[in-house]
Amino acid sequence: MIIAFALAAAVLFGSGAYLLLKRDLVRMVAGIMLISQAAVLTIIASSLNRGQAVIHVGPDDDPSDPLPQALALTALVIGLATVALLLAMVHRVVVVFRTSEQDALAATEAEVEARLERKRQADREEVEGVEGAKEDDAEAIEHEELGRVR
Amino acid sequence: MALDRGRAARDEAAPAPRLTPDWPGWVACATAAVGFFACLVGWLAGGDGFSVPWAPSLDLHLSFRLDGLGAIYGLLATGIGALVFAYGTRYMTLHLEHERRGAVERWRFWPWMLLFAMAMVGLATAQDLVLVFVFFDLTAVCSYYLIGFDRSDSKARTSAVMALLVTVVSAVAMLIGAVLLYAAYGTFAIPELIERVGPSETTTVAAALIAVAALAKSAQVPLHFWLPRAMAAPTPVSAYLHSAAMVAAGVLVIGRVHRLLERSELVMTGLLVIGALSIVVGGVLALRRDRLKQVLAYSTISQYGYMVLLYGMGSSTSNGAAAFYVMAHAVAKSALFMTAGAVTMATGEDRLSKLGGLGRRMPVLAVASAVAAASLAALPLTIGFFKDELFFAAAWEEGSVTTVLAVVAAALTLAYIGRFWVTLFLGAEKGQVTERSVVMVAPVAFLAAVTVVGGLVTEPFARLAASAGEVTAGRPVEVDPGYHLELSPENLMAIAAWTLGGLLLAAPRLTTVLSRTLARAGDLFGPRRGYEAMLHGLDRASAGVHGLEVRDLRSSIAAVLVPAGLLVGLAFAATPTDGAFALGHVSGADWVILPLLGLITVVTLVIARSRSRLAIALALSVVGFALAAVYALIGAPDVALVAVMVETMLALVFVAALARLPQEEPDEDRGSVVRKKRRRRDVVAGSIAGLAAFVTVWGFLSKPAAESVSDDHIRLAPEAHGGDVVTAIVADFRGLDTLVEITVLLVAVIGVATLMRRGKTW
Repeated sequence: MIIAFALAAAVLFGSGAYLLLKRDLVRMVAGIMLISQAAVLTIIASSLNRGQAVIHVGPDDDPSDPLPQALALTALVIGLATVALLLAMVHRVVVVFRTSEQDALAATEAEVEARLERKRQADREEVEGVEGAKEDDAEAIEHEELGRVR
Repeated sequence: MALDRGRAARDEAAPAPRLTPDWPGWVACATAAVGFFACLVGWLAGGDGFSVPWAPSLDLHLSFRLDGLGAIYGLLATGIGALVFAYGTRYMTLHLEHERRGAVERWRFWPWMLLFAMAMVGLATAQDLVLVFVFFDLTAVCSYYLIGFDRSDSKARTSAVMALLVTVVSAVAMLIGAVLLYAAYGTFAIPELIERVGPSETTTVAAALIAVAALAKSAQVPLHFWLPRAMAAPTPVSAYLHSAAMVAAGVLVIGRVHRLLERSELVMTGLLVIGALSIVVGGVLALRRDRLKQVLAYSTISQYGYMVLLYGMGSSTSNGAAAFYVMAHAVAKSALFMTAGAVTMATGEDRLSKLGGLGRRMPVLAVASAVAAASLAALPLTIGFFKDELFFAAAWEEGSVTTVLAVVAAALTLAYIGRFWVTLFLGAEKGQVTERSVVMVAPVAFLAAVTVVGGLVTEPFARLAASAGEVTAGRPVEVDPGYHLELSPENLMAIAAWTLGGLLLAAPRLTTVLSRTLARAGDLFGPRRGYEAMLHGLDRASAGVHGLEVRDLRSSIAAVLVPAGLLVGLAFAATPTDGAFALGHVSGADWVILPLLGLITVVTLVIARSRSRLAIALALSVVGFALAAVYALIGAPDVALVAVMVETMLALVFVAALARLPQEEPDEDRGSVVRKKRRRRDVVAGSIAGLAAFVTVWGFLSKPAAESVSDDHIRLAPEAHGGDVVTAIVADFRGLDTLVEITVLLVAVIGVATLMRRGKTW
């Protein structure tokens, strides 16, 4: 069973990753959903024991491991919140930019990129001060001084 | 230079505002003086230590001991510190006035100076390798802020970064060495390590790493280039950094862990070679520098080369001599630096070629610095004479190569420091003396007095050096300096050195050619080139990675996924896989779960391939409900119920969202070459991600924990008034988690509401 759970979780995760790389924002959301399903499945599969439901456990019962279940509950609910928020964001993006394709959004990205480039240029100028310091050693032995010696 | 600029500004504009007396500086000075007497009393009382647990789980202790070695460096850091700080009160006031900076700038200076002194005392007394590392880096951080004090000057900023990078990056080597030793011998405590460590490959590597950190700190070739640059700092910083702090820290660490280094022949030979190289390179380059502080900076490289060489010899004589040398050098060098600063402040010039004949105008400073220079050049009646006597004795003991080297070294020292003093104070008068300050001359005079006293009464200094040498060598060490009027090897070597030094001093053309050739060679092939290339390369690489990462959303995701995948792969490669994977058994309800998991797999692949968004939404629901069925079958009804509810809601939300989204645009370039290539790449990436997840999850599931808190939860559930254990866990045992979860949910709801209502919350 272990390998079956691992395989299912891996396919969920791999497909999720594949969808994340898609250009369409809706498919990216679907990818995130699949990845969170993979996480929940992994948590549940990590139960130390699989038996009866852990409700009114008697002394002779063989109950399931309750801890992963509690964690899975948390993961499911958080997953729901995440996806809802993502879908709302996609909706907003589509309303504002009239597209859910990344390529079309790239124009906006380019604008941001240009701004970043300007900032980076400023950083580089700071570093380039190193080069300015180079002249110091060469001039350290003064020409004047050489003249005086001769 | 900033100083010239400030001066020019003062000349043409209205006089600079006068600053109030520098009381933060005097507080720092008083603190250092108190520290000096505390160190002195502590050492005279026999020196004691203490050790308290710091991080017991990591076996770290805050252990300090004021032994001989700690006492020397502690006394230097506080004693020289007090004098330099006193000097600095005047220097910094003038400096700030020239630069038209307010008195508040003092608060960017004195706290760092004081922390610098404290870090040095901590380093001197620390007995734990990790503690040594912490203080070692603390001095580097202080030096960064102090060297870059004139932060409007780009030269000061780059110098500060250079000093920080060279010393801190190499200090990491020390930490690695410490961890290596800990892994092999189970302790960070230096005294215990010295007991336990034997010669082995690990020892050699660890010792070499620690030595690299120490040598970079002591500005030894080839990592010396940061030190002359660090002269961009205000002069009190330079004086302190060169004599009693920072640079001294490297030699201090070598003295502290010398018995570890001794276990490796290779490291000791390395010390010898690097010490010798530093002596020659520093000495030759110092011969013809024009800026006052540059002469002294290269002299420092050369002088610490002496000490590294002495430690590399490794005999009892040389260990004691090294400790004595540190003291004598610190006194002389700090006095000379303060001289340079006083001259520059008085005349506004910082070049030898623009200065001369100051002896008649600043007689006290001239005499005091003459004593300091004589001490550095090891002339009799100064404490410096004995540092060279001990050095010569150790070199003679070691062999003929070191003997010749010692004479050459001493000759170089005499030549460059002689030129420095003669050019500055004798000859034709050059430069205008506009500023006179008693506070800036008194510390130099005091140090000169100490130098002369040390030249007449050597006993206390020798005792301190012997006690430090004993700590270094681990056996009693004789340090017995004195004047012997006989033809001993030491005296002959001294006479040879003076003669040779005098000749060098009298042949400026030869030294100019020599020094200039070496400086040119250093500029062309020197290590600084490597440092700059490295810095630029790293900068370019960083900009490249950054550009790649922010290019678009895809590359941002790749920037997370690819490194994560690489790390998983590395971890997988590094972990033994023998028996790490188990297939598991199939029984009972599992026969129903298996086809469900198969269904999930198939539908998931369909989702990945699907072209229609609606199909994706529906298939996602299939996956979700199938998973809910799986949860129901393995005895998790709570999870199954929640999953059904969540899936229902998600399906509705998804379909609702699709309804509000515009129609999917028909793909014009479907089937184009670019598309196909991209698609293939995505498939490969997805497969790799899936494979990594498979390996990780399989390995993780194959090794279940031996015990868990689940049994306690089941046992305690009735007490929490819960028949359903899972409910009890969610609502009670992990109630705080649930609270946070509800908060997350709330935040998400607010987010969704805001987004749907275009930024209007209500």
